[in-house]
Amino acid sequence: MLEQAATRVLTCIQCGKCTGSCPESGRTPFNVRMLVRKKQFQSAVDEALPWYCTSCGACTIRCPRDVKPSEVVIELRAKLVEDGDIPVALQKALENTFVQKNPWGRSRNKRADWLEKLDFEVPHVSETESKRLLFVCCIQAYDPRCMVIPVNVARLFKAGGLEFGILGEQEACCGNEIRRIGEAGLFEELEEENKAAFEEYGVKEIVALSPHCMNALKKEYGDTGIKVVHYTELLAPLVEEGAIKLPGSFGKKVIYHDPCFLGKQNGVFDEPRSILSAVPGLTLLEFSRSREVSLCCEGGGGRMFFEVEATYQRNAEVRVLDAVDKGAEVIATACPFCVMTLEDPATEKGLAVKELSEILTEVL
Amino acid sequence: MNILVFTKRVAATQEEELRITGEGQAVDLSKVPFKVNDWDNYSVEEAVRIVDKSGGSVTAISIGDAESDEVLRRAIAMGARDGFLVETGDVLNDPFTRGELIRSFVDKEKVPFDIILTGVQSEDDQFGAVGGILAGLMGLPYASMVIGIDAVEKDHVIIRRELEGGLQEKVKVATPCVLSIQSGINEPRYVSIMGIRKASKVERKVFKADGYEKGSPKIELIKWVYPEKKGGATMLDGELADVCGQLLGILKEKGVYQ
Amino acid sequence: MSYTLIVAEVRRGVFEERNLDSLGLGALLGDEAVLLVPDGAYEAADKLVDAVLKIKAPEEVYLNPMNMGKILEAVFAARGKPDHILFTQSSSGMEAAAYAAGLFGMPVITDVSGYDKDAGVFLKSYYSDKVFGQFKAAGAPAILTVRSGSFREFAAEKAAAAAAEAIEGAAAVETRTFVEYVEEEKTDIDITKAEFLLSVGRGIGNQDEVAGYEELAGVLKAVLSGSRPVIDKLWLPKARQVGTSGKTVKPKVYLAMGISGAFQHIAGMKDSDCIIAVNKDPGAPIFQYAHYGIIGDIHKVRDKLKELAKG
Repeated sequence: MLEQAATRVLTCIQCGKCTGSCPESGRTPFNVRMLVRKKQFQSAVDEALPWYCTSCGACTIRCPRDVKPSEVVIELRAKLVEDGDIPVALQKALENTFVQKNPWGRSRNKRADWLEKLDFEVPHVSETESKRLLFVCCIQAYDPRCMVIPVNVARLFKAGGLEFGILGEQEACCGNEIRRIGEAGLFEELEEENKAAFEEYGVKEIVALSPHCMNALKKEYGDTGIKVVHYTELLAPLVEEGAIKLPGSFGKKVIYHDPCFLGKQNGVFDEPRSILSAVPGLTLLEFSRSREVSLCCEGGGGRMFFEVEATYQRNAEVRVLDAVDKGAEVIATACPFCVMTLEDPATEKGLAVKELSEILTEVL
Repeated sequence: MNILVFTKRVAATQEEELRITGEGQAVDLSKVPFKVNDWDNYSVEEAVRIVDKSGGSVTAISIGDAESDEVLRRAIAMGARDGFLVETGDVLNDPFTRGELIRSFVDKEKVPFDIILTGVQSEDDQFGAVGGILAGLMGLPYASMVIGIDAVEKDHVIIRRELEGGLQEKVKVATPCVLSIQSGINEPRYVSIMGIRKASKVERKVFKADGYEKGSPKIELIKWVYPEKKGGATMLDGELADVCGQLLGILKEKGVYQ
Repeated sequence: MSYTLIVAEVRRGVFEERNLDSLGLGALLGDEAVLLVPDGAYEAADKLVDAVLKIKAPEEVYLNPMNMGKILEAVFAARGKPDHILFTQSSSGMEAAAYAAGLFGMPVITDVSGYDKDAGVFLKSYYSDKVFGQFKAAGAPAILTVRSGSFREFAAEKAAAAAAEAIEGAAAVETRTFVEYVEEEKTDIDITKAEFLLSVGRGIGNQDEVAGYEELAGVLKAVLSGSRPVIDKLWLPKARQVGTSGKTVKPKVYLAMGISGAFQHIAGMKDSDCIIAVNKDPGAPIFQYAHYGIIGDIHKVRDKLKELAKG
């Protein structure tokens, strides 16, 4: 990996398209073009800098020379991780993931506690015919705000007649953020553990609730032969074809925010929109910066677990102000990290933030 | 400068609900994950920092089952030169037994040392006694609750002990000695998985605990019991806004908030 | 004849309050209660024991565990060996108790928080008070360290104060010597004087959340304090630490958020007039000590309180 990296950075022509599309540039000291330059010359990098990256992937997508600047950032971080020299909050997140398989260090034994909120049983994936695995995700298994999402999606799938099962306590963190923090070794352990479970239970399809999980499972777990989708990809046709009836009405102006890992990095733009369009009474609005150029909420790249030193107006605030400008009452999105980062500034401005399943559940 | 540092693999019970089995015979740890004892992590870090400054080497020792190798690899990844496992499948409930075993091991194997470090206590049994017992058994100078090691000289160390109420005392201890390290003495470095894997290349010698003397236990665990449920709090119920409103009401009632 | 030797903790001329718990356990044990104290002028609880032994050694010598070994030898020579030797569960008590156990080959049980006379067992906490072990010592003397707050209600006043009997000390060791006390840096915050403390613990998750709690403290006119893990991680300065290794506080209101209730913390605040605990874990031990409790996401509660208080 290191050899590829060394030759890759040499193809960089310092055009600056990466920094031009970076959500951190201009507002923070982070300059990804300069980091690539430093890597070319193998010069020292200020150790605070690599931690600004939110892993939105815009730089890598727009680079004309396939330098993959986001990977350069991960490599810089990996060096700091090996030296043991990383922010304490990140250390905690990594150590928690090592012990309890989730960055919040919540008990692994409680990973399936969200099931208690359902009034029907969800089988273990091994007991299903379809071997369709619902991959729940750490934050949605444990965080009180996000726990509603798996509950809602389970109900929606049931309403749509979609069979699925879960791994429950056997599910380990997908490792998407772990890899981006630079802890390759820990990522490998998580990957191994999850893949072993997929194999043992003959999993054929994985439906991820979080775009971050989808990304890791689909693109970074190697060739598992398992189909990986985001839940909106399965839900959209069900909603469009009327297999899930939406008798209620959601008469609000809703603006859709494309999550980076769902949208620009994995090309899922239409399904969430088609779902929202099918909700009776809903007026769907678009941000000016939408789809491929959606503004990163800054929840990724490990930023969910610690704060950078610079004080500046966070993108989440900017996004909310954009939403207000467009006349939105609700910001809808399909990623738990986006929900968490947008909700506080949105609440301050009197807007609600809803994950897609929450809107659907209201009209079910 | 040879530093021996003891490190223990303990159950991570912070987030778990514990169940006592049978008539109080045992605590069910079957679904509880394990980790390095927090205090020992600080000790290992401190040991490595001392030899970084003063030269010498750190030897990590763990008394426990085969899985305890994990904490030795971690210590090596942090900078210990070697790791010894004194393997036993027994749960040693009596800190005295542990102390005897260590003393016997160090004597018999003639492990050289200038300073022996233990953590103030372990997260599981929280006895906080092994360091002191060891020092007493070996007739070595001892200090516990060490919150800072200010100077390491040829024949003594100057350390600070943590007392109550934020007060500390500065103490001079002759070496060789035993010190029990308090959490917060330093900021331990992060140990990556790759680092632990690299540490696996360093041989960890395994010794069988029954090759050494641990005497017979001086205390006996009769049974486990749950804590007594005290009166308990009046739980505030309802929606978030409701509950918070009630809380503010209590604050007003107590006269601390208008 | 058997007796209980209670090794008093005396520091900077103060007969520590937690000695009362040793005296309480001594009373429960039922044998003659003999209090061991160092030289010096201070108020000892001579009405709560049957005899007082005043060792001719100043405090700094007495508080050194290696000297304590010699002092105990002198006591045994004068009076024979006791059935139980009690130390306070404290920085010096734990140290001396463990060292003495190793030196004399005696059983030691630390942090004793309960005693069942009929069963003859001592209760000792495991896994931060999640379960307790019932222990018996296999022989006498047995050394115990006594948890603060656990037995003081049993300390019984005798008819008359016990007279102090002087005992010769031995020469102090040179292998460990006291240098000086180090006071913590003076800051303008003295949390022991606050009447309303908002205290945060490990549950706040990370350093960035501290600012939000500072704000809440400001809005509620509370003083911000924290439990040990928060101070260890340097999220709050040492002066704000509540607990045995920090400050003991008795405010009118102690609002604990994200604090599970480890005993060392409880010991530092359990006498507060009104304890309100907010924690996401319904099994958190702190709910045993709190007067009011809220089970929930502490950040959400924080934000809602701010909103309601400001509005």
